[in-house]
Amino acid sequence: MEEFLQQMVTGLATGSVYGLLALAIVLIYRSTSVLNFAQGEMAMFTTFAAWTMLHWGHYWIVFPLVLLMAAAIGGFIELVIIRRVEGAPILNIIIVTLGLFAILNNVATWRWGGIPKGFPAPPEIQVTGVKFFGEGALDIGPTVVSYHDLTILVFAVGIMAALYLFFQYTPLGLAMRATAQNPIASRLMGIRVGRMLAVGWALSAAVGAVAGMLIAHLILLQPPMMMGVLLYAFAAAVLGGLDSPVGAIVGGLIIGITENLVGTYTPQDILGPDMKLTVTLIIIVLVLLVRPTGIFGRRTLRRV
Amino acid sequence: MLQVREVVAAYGPVVALHGVSLEVPEGSVVAVLGANGAGKSSTLRAISGLLRPRSGSIEFEGQRIDRLSAEQIVSLGMSHIPEGRQLFSEMTVLENLRLGAYSRFTGVAGSIREYRRRRQDFEAALKQIFEYFPILAERRNQMAGTLSGGEQQMLAIGRGLMGNPRLLLLDEPSMGLAPIVTREIFEIIETINRTQGVTILLVEQNANLALEIAHYGYVLETGRIALADTSENLRKSEAVQRSYLGY
Repeated sequence: MEEFLQQMVTGLATGSVYGLLALAIVLIYRSTSVLNFAQGEMAMFTTFAAWTMLHWGHYWIVFPLVLLMAAAIGGFIELVIIRRVEGAPILNIIIVTLGLFAILNNVATWRWGGIPKGFPAPPEIQVTGVKFFGEGALDIGPTVVSYHDLTILVFAVGIMAALYLFFQYTPLGLAMRATAQNPIASRLMGIRVGRMLAVGWALSAAVGAVAGMLIAHLILLQPPMMMGVLLYAFAAAVLGGLDSPVGAIVGGLIIGITENLVGTYTPQDILGPDMKLTVTLIIIVLVLLVRPTGIFGRRTLRRV
Repeated sequence: MLQVREVVAAYGPVVALHGVSLEVPEGSVVAVLGANGAGKSSTLRAISGLLRPRSGSIEFEGQRIDRLSAEQIVSLGMSHIPEGRQLFSEMTVLENLRLGAYSRFTGVAGSIREYRRRRQDFEAALKQIFEYFPILAERRNQMAGTLSGGEQQMLAIGRGLMGNPRLLLLDEPSMGLAPIVTREIFEIIETINRTQGVTILLVEQNANLALEIAHYGYVLETGRIALADTSENLRKSEAVQRSYLGY
C-alpha cells in the first residue's frame, strides 16, 4: 500500500510535467492547428540556456528571465518560420516543426555537448517556518513525498490557474480564444490575428520551459532528454483532447500515474520497465480508435 | 460617406467583381440586390478589407481604405456583419459582445480614469444593445452556438454595433430565418438607422424587404452593377419586379 501511494504521488508529479508540455502543445494546436513536434526540443534548449545562466545568477532570478527568453524564442519562431508555411498542407508544417526539432537538438549538442549534466531543483524558500520547494523528503503519514515532486505539482496547478484567469478575464486572453475559434470573425472585430498567434507561441514556449526545468532535475540535462517526455506529452494531449488545456493536464496526470504503476508492477523478468512506453503508445492508439476527440475535446479533428 | 469606384476583385483565378462602383451617402440605407453568386458578399468583403481589390478604389469618409487590412478598417468606424453570422459559437453571448467592442479599446488603459471611462462606454453600449434585443440580456451567459437562428442574427448585429460604427455592412440578415423573425430584425435595423444615425449598406436576397427600408438600391449581376436607382423606382421597374420581386 505504501509503495502504491508512493508511486501514485510520483506519478502525479511526472504526470504534471507531461501535462505542462501537453498544455504547451495544445496552446499552439488549438489556435494554429500546428502539431509542434519541436515543443520538447524548445524546452530542452531553454533549459540548457537556464543552466548557463545559473552560473551567473540565483535560481529565482534566472527562472523568470528564462521564461521571458523562452517566450521571445517562441514568438520569434512563429513570426519568422511558421508564418511562412501558414495555410500550407499539413505535411509541410509537420516537416517544418521536425526540422526545428533537428536544428534545436543539433545546436544544443554543438553548444553544450552530449554529456548529461545535473540541473538543480528550485531552491527552498522558508515562509513563516514552512519549507517550500527545495530537495529532501516530506513525511505525510502513510508515505513519504519528495519536495521536488510537490514543487512540480505546485507549478502545474499555479500555471493552470494563471492561464485560466488570463484566458477568461483579460481582453488579450479573450482575443486569443476568439482567434482560435474563428479567425475571420476575429479580424472583423479588429483583432490582429497574426499577433495573437505569435503571443500563443510565446506563451506555449514559456510553459514548455517550466516543464523542461522541472524535469531536468529528475532525468539529467542532455540534448535528447525531452524525446521520451514529448511522447508522453503527446499521449496526454491526445487523451485529454488536442484542443483542451484542461484535458492536457488531466491527460498528463493519467499518463504519469499509468506510467509509474506499469513500471512498478509489471514483472521485471518478463517485460520490465520498458513496458511503460508501450502502454503509453497503446493508449494513444486506443484513444484515436475509440474517441478521437479525447476526453475533453469538442471539435472533431478535421481541417476545413 | 462611402465611395466604391471600379473595384475588381477575385478569389485566385475566379473574378468575382468586374468593376463595381457604388456610393453610400451618410445617414442612408442602401441595398445591394442580386441573385446567388452575383458578387453581393464579395462587394462587402472588398469594402471591409477581407478581400483585397485588384484595382479600383474605396474611400470611407474621404480616406482611401482599399489597401488597409480588415483589422485597421474596423477601427475607423465600420462594422461588417458577415454572411452566416460568424459568431464565436463556443463563447457566451456576453463574450461575443465584449469582442464586438474590442476595436474601440485597443491598448492598455493608461490611467484609472481612462479605465473607468472605457468601462462606462462599454456598459452604455451594452445597455443600448439589450434595449434593441432584450432576449440577448436574458441569454447573456449562454453559449452563442445554442441560440436560435433569429437570436444568433440579433447577436451578430449587436456584436457589430458594440464597435460603435458609423457605417454598418449587413450581409443577408434574413438568411434562414422565419418571415416573422426577419420582419422583427428589419424593424430594428430601420430603428438603428433612424435613431442612431448609423449608415447602413445592406446586402439582401429578399428584395421586397430590403427595398422597404432602403433609400437607394443597386442591382448586381455577375459582378457588375446592372441597375442603380432609388428604391421607389426600383420597386416600380419592370426588370426588378420580374427578376427579384416575384411579380
